[in-house]
Amino acid sequence: MKLINYIANIFIAIFRLLQGMYITMLNLIRKKVTEQYPENRGKKEQFEQMRGQLVMPHNENNQHKCTACLICMTNCPNGTIQITTKMEMNEETGKEKKVLDTYMYDLGCCTYCSLCTWTCPQDAIEWSQNFEHAMFTRSKLNIRLNKEGSSLAPKNK
Amino acid sequence: MNIVKQKLAAFSFATIEEKGKTITVTVPKENLYETAKMLRDMEGTPFDFLIDIIGMDYGDEGLGVIYNLCCTHFPAYLIALKTSTPDRENPMLYSVHDLWRSAGLYEREVHDFFGIKFINNPDMRRLFLRSDWKGYPLRKDYDADPAINPVPLENELIENMETVPSITLKMGQPVESTRKLFGEEEYIVNFGPQHPAMHGVLHLRASLDGEIVKKIDPNFGYIHRGIEKMSEAYTYPQILHLADRLDYLSGTINRHAICLCCEKALELEVPMRAHYIRTIFDELTRIASHLLGWGCTAMDMGSITAFVYGMRDREKIMDIFEETAGGRLMVNYNVIGGVAQDIHPNFQNRVKEFIKYMRKMLKEHHILFTGNPIMRDRMDGVGYLSKEAAISVGATGPSGRASGWSCDARKIEPYAAYRQVEFKEMLRQDGLTFDRYVIRLDEIEESLKIIEQLIDNIPDGPYAAKTKAIIRLPEGEFFQRVENARGEFDVYINSKGDKSPYRIKFRSPCMTLVNALQETAIESKVADLIMIGASLDYVIPCIDR
Amino acid sequence: MFDFAIVTSWIDQFLRSFLSAGWTLFVEFVLIGLVILALYAVLALLLIYVERKVCAFFQCRIGPNRVGPWGVLQSVADMVKILLKELINIKRVDPFLFKAAMFLVIIASICTFGALPFARGLQTIDFNIGVFYLLAVSSLGVVGILLAGWSSNNKYTMIGAMRSGAQLISYELSAGLSLMAIVVLSGSMQLSEIVNQQAEMWFIFKGHIPAFIAFVIYLIAGHAETNRGPFDLPEAESELTAGYHTEYSGIQFGFFYLAEYLNMFIVAAIATTMFLGGWMPLHIPGWEGFNQVMDFIPSVIWFFGKAFLCVFLALWVRWSFPRLRIDQLLNLEWKVLMPISLINILLMALLVL
Repeated sequence: MKLINYIANIFIAIFRLLQGMYITMLNLIRKKVTEQYPENRGKKEQFEQMRGQLVMPHNENNQHKCTACLICMTNCPNGTIQITTKMEMNEETGKEKKVLDTYMYDLGCCTYCSLCTWTCPQDAIEWSQNFEHAMFTRSKLNIRLNKEGSSLAPKNK
Repeated sequence: MNIVKQKLAAFSFATIEEKGKTITVTVPKENLYETAKMLRDMEGTPFDFLIDIIGMDYGDEGLGVIYNLCCTHFPAYLIALKTSTPDRENPMLYSVHDLWRSAGLYEREVHDFFGIKFINNPDMRRLFLRSDWKGYPLRKDYDADPAINPVPLENELIENMETVPSITLKMGQPVESTRKLFGEEEYIVNFGPQHPAMHGVLHLRASLDGEIVKKIDPNFGYIHRGIEKMSEAYTYPQILHLADRLDYLSGTINRHAICLCCEKALELEVPMRAHYIRTIFDELTRIASHLLGWGCTAMDMGSITAFVYGMRDREKIMDIFEETAGGRLMVNYNVIGGVAQDIHPNFQNRVKEFIKYMRKMLKEHHILFTGNPIMRDRMDGVGYLSKEAAISVGATGPSGRASGWSCDARKIEPYAAYRQVEFKEMLRQDGLTFDRYVIRLDEIEESLKIIEQLIDNIPDGPYAAKTKAIIRLPEGEFFQRVENARGEFDVYINSKGDKSPYRIKFRSPCMTLVNALQETAIESKVADLIMIGASLDYVIPCIDR
Repeated sequence: MFDFAIVTSWIDQFLRSFLSAGWTLFVEFVLIGLVILALYAVLALLLIYVERKVCAFFQCRIGPNRVGPWGVLQSVADMVKILLKELINIKRVDPFLFKAAMFLVIIASICTFGALPFARGLQTIDFNIGVFYLLAVSSLGVVGILLAGWSSNNKYTMIGAMRSGAQLISYELSAGLSLMAIVVLSGSMQLSEIVNQQAEMWFIFKGHIPAFIAFVIYLIAGHAETNRGPFDLPEAESELTAGYHTEYSGIQFGFFYLAEYLNMFIVAAIATTMFLGGWMPLHIPGWEGFNQVMDFIPSVIWFFGKAFLCVFLALWVRWSFPRLRIDQLLNLEWKVLMPISLINILLMALLVL
């Protein structure tokens, strides 16, 4: 009996091993799943929701929507966003008003928690799908989001 | 529960409070051990599962400890055993490590963060921080000045790691003593911190006799980030993003737990749509985690091909996450009151496609690996964890269920949409490495069933409830249990009515799994040690926090 | 079919025409040495490329595809890289043994090359005890591995080397016994004789079931001897990080790496020679036309084609199965392979009688 068991076990084992080899062979002839990255650059659409990098959209007149309310800066858990403001004379009303001077975003610190975009009352900042963040120095990761000479867009009424 | 209350009432020193299914018992520190022993050995309802030990700094009232206990016969009921000591200079409490084996590591953690010394605990080393760290970081009067604790430029001395202090009572007086962990002659092999099979940076020091493991000493804290300390300075929405970084493989579920805890505190009505979406996301996360666990088990066994197959299938889930939530590993989707944004129009189709694909692949995985005689030989009869031991060390999740312990928090206290679905709690009786392995694949199948029931019935409506701009939790203590991919993940929040918590504590299911590793791997071979570790499937960031 | 003996004897006569007999031999030795070393290096590069590509295909990946078309130059680039790498001097190793170990390993596998009949007339030495020589020389490598593990003064390497010693010595037995079955069948130990006997029909067909069993056992045992696949315990990466060569760096590690791949080829080549007819083309008795067509294919292609088929089998197994545990490994040898190969020899003897 023992001998029969012994031989049967060997055959069962061989059968099981062959089954496993069949699966790997099946995958050998299957379509490969690798994506060729630099070749398919720009060809493959990123998902819309993907959080790549924080950007501040500007319209054609070089105007953005940020009112420098600092909500994003206070909400950011690790000080990724640094906003400086300046006082500017409004020509129509003649009053001084706080406007955005620089909007610095430290990509190297960002944890992509998305609290800034969720809490922004003006929807002035959003995520772009850019994921190629490799830089040679750390300082290059500190990005200024508002463009040079940009100003606050007038509200659409 | 009334019996328990009656029994407790016999203790004149204990003050009892009842709130929902939780009984809070406060005892003086002298009577702690007595009460704990009574609860542990209570007839009919033995509180044999120590969920967690939470260290507390009550400010002027001194330091305290909360023991969360659970009876495995009535798992929905909890006892929070509280005690405190006014002594801030040299606080001492009695250890309960001989009642619950999981208490050993928990007490070390409390000792590390609060400086409370536990009398009779044989191992009072620091758990996460280096032995030369000054101060106890989770105390409120801790000075975080970097001049006190500069960044060390040298390795921790091996002698310091091996010298184990402990406190015992002699003639009523506490006496400190030290002992060496390993003898001079022992053949000690390091597994980790950088080791291919340690799934992160766990450091195991194993004493070997030939190929046989004689003693294991786990060493934590290589990626300790102090998330609990950080959270005390963060607002509640900010804490959420740290949850993804605890156990990164079940980040969505951890985040869900914190959201549920906050919603419980705020008494916020979460829309049904959000519940459904959250549940689907939880189950997808569970599948992804188990797939990776499956792959890593295979890789630890040398079958790298299976690992790649696991990663390939997991990729599909990652794509589903990315399309709706924008994140892959750090999904970042649950927010207090619901979910961050509505699901993508493709979501349902993609998930249905995935279910079909996964069923087919699961069959292949079973043929390739579960049926493999080599794998069977290596896993069967190895790493036995009995049900009692599993409860005592607190090995929840698939590892506990493989030992026959029904400990699924989704069944105990159904949260989100788990009430609306039918699913089985996967149980196996043998508690071997093979059971722990195969139960994960069974759970994938079960998760697919849950998703199938939900995906077509997502109700219309808002995807999130309105919350205030600044969320302040009302004063009180809040506790929420969820089932993540590795076991019971609990959140304890102690709020003083502020916008950030006074104390937040996460129960790491993985820390108890390391306990189980110590329990099961002794007297097994080196290769089995790796296999047992792989089958327990711990994630180190979850332990280190 | 082209006979390489024509080329070699022409070179021999050419040299003899203006050199004395002793010098001729010397020049020939040097030439052969160079050719074998070159073949060794080229084969290693080729095998590394093949392994990486095949492994990638099993895993639904593409594999190396950046250096050269389809990545064919990848292993050349890797070779350049490994040559340029720093050799890290490790304190507290036994310097002599530490450096000697890798040469022992590589010499053992180069020596086997000398006896392999690559094609008609292309064999360096034709011993009359060729099979013995192959077995003896190929098992020398274990000394190198043991020394490497011992001299590194590291616990991982030590455990790896001890495992390797136990494993290689055990599997040597069933590998030898399964080759003995063919020796019984052919009645000769001379490799050229064995190959010539397979002109009509390969031994794997001629020997019926016993030869097939011997073939399978030899593949398993040989695979175990190369420390690969399900038998890679000496370097079990999930337990011992890199096993016996943990402490080696740069080209020192490269030597072990080369030896591992070449051993895989050598096992395949021996299996080819002993069971699959060596460089003999596939002949089916009675099919004259078919046999003549087969004869047109050069013998080198036959040999390497069959050897690479065996290599592919090894890769297929390597990338399909998990690793065994040390006690199971020894159980498999002593409780399964050994008894079967002993019975197999008996069967073969009955068959020959």
